[in-house]
Amino acid sequence: MTDIAASARHRAQRSRAVTALAIVYTAAILFPVFWMASLMIKPDDIMFIRPTVWLFEPTLDHFTFLLHEGFLWHLLSSLIVATASTILVVIIGTPAAYAFARFEIWRSDDLFIFILATRMAPPVCLMIPFYLIYAKVGLIDTYIGLVLAYLTFNLSFYVWVMRSFCRDLPVELEEAAMVAGYPRWQVLVKIVFPLVRPGMVAAAVLCFIFAWNEFLYAFMLGGDKIKTLPVAIPTLITTQGVRWGEMSVVGIVGLLPVLIAVFFLQKHIVRGLTMGAVKG
Amino acid sequence: MIDSDAAIRADVEAPSPERRFWYPYLLIAPTLVTLVVISLIPFLYTVYLSLHEAKYGRIQGFIGLENFGTVLADGRFWNAMGVALVFVLIAVPVEFMLGLIGALILNAGVKYRGVLVPMMFIPTMMAPIVVGLLWKIMFAGSWGLLSYNLFERFGILSGTSIFGSPNLALYGIILVDIWQWTPFMVLAFFAGLQSLPVNPYRAAAIDGANPVQVFFLITLPMMAPLLVVIVILRLIDAFKIFDSIFILTGGGPGDATEAPSILAYKMVFEYWEIGEASALAVLVWLLFFGFCNLFYQIAKKRLNAF
Repeated sequence: MTDIAASARHRAQRSRAVTALAIVYTAAILFPVFWMASLMIKPDDIMFIRPTVWLFEPTLDHFTFLLHEGFLWHLLSSLIVATASTILVVIIGTPAAYAFARFEIWRSDDLFIFILATRMAPPVCLMIPFYLIYAKVGLIDTYIGLVLAYLTFNLSFYVWVMRSFCRDLPVELEEAAMVAGYPRWQVLVKIVFPLVRPGMVAAAVLCFIFAWNEFLYAFMLGGDKIKTLPVAIPTLITTQGVRWGEMSVVGIVGLLPVLIAVFFLQKHIVRGLTMGAVKG
Repeated sequence: MIDSDAAIRADVEAPSPERRFWYPYLLIAPTLVTLVVISLIPFLYTVYLSLHEAKYGRIQGFIGLENFGTVLADGRFWNAMGVALVFVLIAVPVEFMLGLIGALILNAGVKYRGVLVPMMFIPTMMAPIVVGLLWKIMFAGSWGLLSYNLFERFGILSGTSIFGSPNLALYGIILVDIWQWTPFMVLAFFAGLQSLPVNPYRAAAIDGANPVQVFFLITLPMMAPLLVVIVILRLIDAFKIFDSIFILTGGGPGDATEAPSILAYKMVFEYWEIGEASALAVLVWLLFFGFCNLFYQIAKKRLNAF
């Protein structure tokens, strides 16, 4: 009896200790983010003072940049590109993911590796042909151009991960519907899609984040018209100096969808980031 | 009753064999066509460019494998490979060890996981360019929070900027990568730990195994395929690092942090050596294809994942 009580007490102690450790770790890794957030409202004249000033009168100076230097345009570009590419990916990719999950497909292993390799290839490798072809056909600095470029990593990602979600569905439901006389496309629309919707939303949100975070394609294939948020950051390193406060604003605004996504997606993130290899 | 059931089934299962054969291909056609256009054609075009004399965007004669020869004989190519190798061989093992320790800790009864786990994902899910910015701020000049409070105040490395020093810049980049990806390793390994069967642990408890034995004889062997798959995935990802180096050092000072992606970028957009850059891209691509194959085979056979 005392043994059990002692072991329960021991376990509670251990639980408290590891919880404290986890909280300290989380706070430590997030500290730079809070620090960056504080620069958003830190006046320029005390930003560089040594020793570091911790308490200061907050200023909104850096935010005026939002309104006067086209920041909202960056924000809009980012939103349009990320949303459009995500919608396109879901429309094109969902039927394919289902087909890969349910049917015998000719040389499916080779096709998978092709899709996976498309997802994994360094963007810099695709950069050269994209840039040259786009320059020739006039797709540089267009929404269509950038959205297409984002399909390289997002469509392959989505098909791959959705296939893994589709395979989790019990096949008996679809069989039952077919026995009841539903045609195949109705089985898809009425049975499969509603059941797989949580996975679909998770994969789509991840696609949105990938597109939202992407830098290289946006930097090279964008231009005066299309400037996404990540592209705004290096442009703030000017010859007159680095505009730290403004960069922090852009960084924090860029972080907002990510914050929403991490709380919203939870266990799907591991599955998504490991291409479905680890079921979170 | 049985008869009518069988009749329905026969009706459903064999309406017209041709349609059933085409049906899955109809579903995957849009995806395949898109991927051929945006991935296969660009790849083949890169191969074509790599076999031609192409400078400043003008494509001239066919020169066989000469571009590959030039790239492979170029010291900068091997420097880039060396940078990538040092980066990957330090960053990934450190992330792995910390990740494993973190996962075991997280699995030992941490409370408030519903809040802590999503928060730990923030670094991993952040845009790499913002990650770069974050650490640029932390180590900025002589006033950055860490560069002042750690280095200047205590006189360690005083006067040097970590990203401005040829000897330290790469380690700075490695540190940033560890910051960003250790939480991912923790949470991926934790997901693996959570999915392990309970019975071997019960048996071990009955046999009176100590925690160290349990870890090395039960946990580690059962986790092995998952660990390997995640490490391969991280290797692939780490090898193509671009954004954070681009904003932190731009590949410098000199070529101290010039990873392959940065080198390819400079070859295209600074020197306009399209042919040679394409050859480099093809080489990198082949390497990645090998890695992807490995990832797929192991994950499929050992994790039954796909």
